[in-house]
Amino acid sequence: MSTIVRTEGLVKRYNGTLAVAGVDLDVAEGEIFGLVGPNGAGKTTTLRILATLLAPTAGDAEIAGVSVRRNPAAARRVIGFMPDVFGVYDDMKVWEYLDFFGRCYGLPPARRRRVIADLLELVDLGPKRDAYVQALSRGMQQRLCLAHALVHDPAVLLLDEPASGLDPRARIELRELLRELRRLGKTILISSHILPELEEICTSVAIIDRGRVLAAGRIADIEGRLRVGAVLRARVLGDADAIEAARAHFAAEADVASAATLDDGTIEIGFRGDDAGAAALLSRAVTAGIALTSFARAASDLEELFLQVTGADEIAAGGLVA
Amino acid sequence: MTAALAPVRARLGGWLSGLGAIGVKELRGRMRGRRAFVVLTVYLIFLGGYAWMTQLTQLAQYENQYAGQAAFASAAIGRGIFGALVLLETLLVVVLVPAFTAGAISMEREKQTLDMLATTPLPSLAIVVGKLLSALVYVFILVLASIPLSALVFVFGGVAPDDVLRAYVVLLATAFGLGSMALFFSALVRRTQAATIMSYVFVLVVTLGSSFIFDFWTAVGGSAGVLRPDGTFDRRSGPPEALVYLNPYFAQADVLCAVENGFGTYCDDISKVTNRSPFGGVPVPVGPGFDPAFRGGVVVNDWDKIVALDIGGAPRDVIVGPQPDQLASVRDRLWPQSVAAWLVASVFFILGSVQLVSPTRRWRPRVPGILRRPARRSTP
Repeated sequence: MSTIVRTEGLVKRYNGTLAVAGVDLDVAEGEIFGLVGPNGAGKTTTLRILATLLAPTAGDAEIAGVSVRRNPAAARRVIGFMPDVFGVYDDMKVWEYLDFFGRCYGLPPARRRRVIADLLELVDLGPKRDAYVQALSRGMQQRLCLAHALVHDPAVLLLDEPASGLDPRARIELRELLRELRRLGKTILISSHILPELEEICTSVAIIDRGRVLAAGRIADIEGRLRVGAVLRARVLGDADAIEAARAHFAAEADVASAATLDDGTIEIGFRGDDAGAAALLSRAVTAGIALTSFARAASDLEELFLQVTGADEIAAGGLVA
Repeated sequence: MTAALAPVRARLGGWLSGLGAIGVKELRGRMRGRRAFVVLTVYLIFLGGYAWMTQLTQLAQYENQYAGQAAFASAAIGRGIFGALVLLETLLVVVLVPAFTAGAISMEREKQTLDMLATTPLPSLAIVVGKLLSALVYVFILVLASIPLSALVFVFGGVAPDDVLRAYVVLLATAFGLGSMALFFSALVRRTQAATIMSYVFVLVVTLGSSFIFDFWTAVGGSAGVLRPDGTFDRRSGPPEALVYLNPYFAQADVLCAVENGFGTYCDDISKVTNRSPFGGVPVPVGPGFDPAFRGGVVVNDWDKIVALDIGGAPRDVIVGPQPDQLASVRDRLWPQSVAAWLVASVFFILGSVQLVSPTRRWRPRVPGILRRPARRSTP
C-alpha cells in the first residue's frame, strides 16, 4: 500500500518550548494509525500541523502528495479534522450544521442534500435531522462533528482524542463507525492517551513522548523489534499444589523471565518470546500434563509496549544507560 | 484570453461561495424566530413616534416665527425632522454596530468552532467579510427600513432627495467602518467581553474624544489663524480637519448644513471645522484699512469685521476687511473626507483581521496580559 501521510523532521517550537522535536511518520493508505503518548507528548501539535492549523517551525508534511506547508489550501481539501475540544453553534439545526460545512467546501446544492442524508445515516443521526445541535448528547455531538469532517469525502481523517468524554456505549459506537470508515477506504489518524481504546482499532501506532517518535509501525512489529515480549496468564485446574507445580514448570522454561501466582490462583508469566514461542510454550505445558483451563495474553499489549518504550526512554534520558 | 481568466474566475467563485456559506449560516441564526421582526417593528414605531414628536415641537416653534408664511414654516419643520432622524440613526449605528460585530470572531474562539472553520478551504478574507456583512445586514435592514420614514420630510419640503442620499451614504460608511473596527478587535483579543469594551472605547475616542480635543485645541490654539505681512492668511494654526474625519456627527452636521443653506446651528458647528479661516477658507484681498507696515499677527473675528493684531512695534488693530458673506463663500465639505477615511480605515481593519484569523500566520501580536484569556489548557 502506498504512503498517504508522510512527515519529515517536523518541528514545532512555542516560545522556546519544543512541542514537536522532529517527527517522522509514514502512514499507509487505508490504515487506522494511532498516535499514542502521554499528555503533552506532541500528539495534538502534530495533528494540528497536519490539519494546517499550525505552521511547522521546521520540516514538512505531505498528505496525498500535497505539502501542508506550501499548499495548505489544497491540503484542506483532502483532510477532515476533528479537534479534541470542539464547540457547536447555537441556533443551528443538525442538517444546517452539515449544510454549512458543505457550503464551506463549495458543494453544489444537489450533492449537499445527498451528502447530508448519507452522513446522517452513517453516523446514525437521521432522526435528529431537525433537532438543534446544542440539544444533542455529547456522543451525538461527537458523531456529528465526525460527520462534518466527512462532508467533502476526504481521503484522510485526523481525529484528536475522539473518544474523550464519551460513555462506554458511545465509545463502542464510535469504534464501529471508525471501522466502517476504514471499510469505505479512509485513512484515519487518531490520537489518544487511552491505550486500550486504540489497541482495538488501530492497525499501526506511533508512540510519541516529549515531541519525538519512540517507535512506529504495526504493534506486533514493534514488539518484535524491541523484543519486549508479553505477559501471559494461565489458569490451571486443581488445588494449590497443582498450581505451584505448574508455576515451577513455567519458571523453568527458557524464554520465561518470571512466573508468579496471583491471589486468585492465576499464574502470570513474563515471556520474552514471540507468538510462535508462546504456542510452543503452551504445547509443552500440555504435553507435561498440566491441566490448563485458559492460556492467554494479559492486559493490554499496547499498554505494556508503551510502558516499556517510554520507560526505556526515561532511563536513557536519565543517563542510566550508556 | 478567457482561458487565462479561468483560475481567477475559479478563485472568485470559491471566494463568493465562501461568503455565501458564512452569510447563510449567520443569518439563519440571527433571523430565526420572531425576535428580529419584532425588534424591527418596535424600532419603526419608536422612530415614527420620534419623528411625529419632532414635528410637533418644530410646529410650536415656527408658528410664531414665520407668521402667516406656511411655506417657510413647512420647510423649517421638514429640516428639523430630517436633522433629528439623521442624528438618531447615527446614534443607532454607533451603539448597535459594535454590539453586533465585536463577538464575530471571538465567539468562534470561545465556542471552539474557529478551528473547524479554519480547516475548511474557506479563504480567511471570506470568513472576515462574511462575518462583517452578515453582522451588518441587520443594522442595514434597520437603517434601510427607516428610509420611507425619512422620505416623509419631502412632504414638508426644505430637504432635497440628494440630502437624504448623502446622509445615508455617511451612515452606511460609518456602519461599515465601525463594524470592521469591532471585528478587528474581536479577532485580536480572545474574549468577546474585552473586544466589546475595546470597541466602545474606540467609539468614544472618535466621537466624544475627537470633539473634545478639537474644541480644546481650537480654544488654546486660536481659532482665527495668522495673517502674514503680505496679506496672505496662514490656515495651519488650529487643529487639523483630519482629527474629526472619523467622527460621524461632524460628517452628518456637514450634510445637515447643506440643508440649511449655510445658516443654522449645524453650519455654525461645522464651520468651526471646515471654514476656520475668517475668509471662509478662501483667500480674499485685504481691505482698505490694511496697514502696509503690518508685520503679521493673529487674526480675530470681530463681529462684523476682521481685525489683525499687529505683533511687531506698537500694539494696534489693523482692520483687514469686512466679514465675508457666508452665502457667498465657497463651503469646504467634510462628509466626503469622512466617508473616504472610514473606507480606508475599514480596509486596514479587514486586512488586519484576515491576518489574525489565518491559522498559520507568521506573526502574532503581543496582547497586553490583562486582555489575554486565562492560560489555555495546554494540549501541545
